[in-house]
Amino acid sequence: MPTVKSKKKKPKKEVNDGEEQGEAGQEVEMEVVANRSRSNSRDPLTPEPQEAAPQKKKKKKKTATIDQEVERADTPNGIGADSVMDGEETVTVTRKMKKKRRVKVTEHCDNDLGAEDDDIVTDAQSPIPQHSLFSAPSTHSQPVGKVFVERNRRFQVEQVEHFRHSSPMGDHIDHRQIWTTRDVALRVHSGFRVIGLFSHGFLAGYAVWNIIVVYVLAGEQMTTLPNLLQQYHLLAYPAQSLLYLLLAISTVSAFDRVNLAKASMALRGFLTLDPAVLASFLYFIALILSLSQQMTSDRINLYPTANKTLWPPGSEQQILQPWIVVNLVVALLVGLAWAIVSTQPDIDYTEEFLMTMEVEEYPRGDESLEIPA
Amino acid sequence: MLQASNFSLVLLIQLTLLAYDLFVNSFSELLRGAPVIQLVLFIIQDIAILFNVIIILLMMFNTYVFQVGLVSLLLERFRALLIFSALYLTLSICFHCWLLNLRWLESNHFVWTDGLQALFVFQRTVAVLYYYLYKRTAEYMGDPRLYKDSLWLRDAFARARQ
Repeated sequence: MPTVKSKKKKPKKEVNDGEEQGEAGQEVEMEVVANRSRSNSRDPLTPEPQEAAPQKKKKKKKTATIDQEVERADTPNGIGADSVMDGEETVTVTRKMKKKRRVKVTEHCDNDLGAEDDDIVTDAQSPIPQHSLFSAPSTHSQPVGKVFVERNRRFQVEQVEHFRHSSPMGDHIDHRQIWTTRDVALRVHSGFRVIGLFSHGFLAGYAVWNIIVVYVLAGEQMTTLPNLLQQYHLLAYPAQSLLYLLLAISTVSAFDRVNLAKASMALRGFLTLDPAVLASFLYFIALILSLSQQMTSDRINLYPTANKTLWPPGSEQQILQPWIVVNLVVALLVGLAWAIVSTQPDIDYTEEFLMTMEVEEYPRGDESLEIPA
Repeated sequence: MLQASNFSLVLLIQLTLLAYDLFVNSFSELLRGAPVIQLVLFIIQDIAILFNVIIILLMMFNTYVFQVGLVSLLLERFRALLIFSALYLTLSICFHCWLLNLRWLESNHFVWTDGLQALFVFQRTVAVLYYYLYKRTAEYMGDPRLYKDSLWLRDAFARARQ
């Protein structure tokens, strides 16, 4: 325990100084003791004892320097003994100078320690006896309106109320407390809505690109269908898979905007050309049409390895024409649905429902509302 | 009362299983190099559907509404999901069995018939409805009213008694 050691050592040294310095030394000693008692009284407030030790060491050093200065003052320029010999007047003058210097030195020390007015206790305070540090306090603790906050390696006094409001940790705790399951659901839903909006646009663009590629490869009046099969057979199945993925996400996103739980509401929305209901319907039709072409897509995919039964000679026109038309219709439907969704992208029934998921507390005191089980 | 962190975790698991399901439905036809690949994908997909149904049922059992005996209230609200989940699981198992049976000996050949095509369209369409209903229900399960006594629950109880 370094603190105890220093406490034990200090008095001895100070006693020695006192003996050397005589009366003047005793006055300085009183001030040092008073300073120490203040530091002792402040120790329990500091949470880190490791930092308190260097402070004590500093103080110890400073008291030593004070002693040295006092000694030097006793013998300024090494003529102290001679001046005492000159007479009593010179002695009193030097003592006054010493006192002034002592006052200046103590002021300087206070400034170095960075003590603030709030930290300094002006009341005369007796040093705490050693045994009382480890015993339970006999009086009740008094709550104070101040807390000590470490800032810039120093403890500063702050009002409790102010600290409560300004503390970022407190804000964090409060924020965590109000984070409910409803908020989680809303966050997830808004995340999916963003994915859905992206999917709507991407699907529309992709479907248009797909049909343009097909028509370009098929040539004018579909005269180069073998060329289409040669070029497109690698793309056919991946394109079909991607189309299903995007259609599924877009359809779910469009359904989220409608209350499908009530069929009458959905039907009324469809009859009144509600944009959300219309878009959902268009996506759903596009999905079914796209799925119906799975067999033809697989047939195109297997074109290089095909035998006579899969692609009989001259059957390209008969097989591919419905497939191209259906793809064109799908592209038109998803393009139209995207345009409708884009006009009013903020309509969202599911989000509205999620927003209404608020608990109205049941009034416990009111027994008249109690329903017997 | 359901904690937000627990709900987030459950929601994450549910959405991950749904995302896997959507991935398999979209790209399983591309991953048919060997029949065993599709077999594994389909088995995991069916188990994922089953897990999702079990999770949503457990969440329903965990609600205050269920514990006080208002099962009809939950059924009224989530009936569509339960029906479509059962339908989708059945259709998926049927389609997977049929497809693997046709492709087991030779995976990269044309197997489509009108019946298989019809089942395929039906299964994939129901899948989209299942995604929509499941996602909506999973989000609705975060309703705080389902987990504590409230005026809304009292009103629902009074209506159920009448």
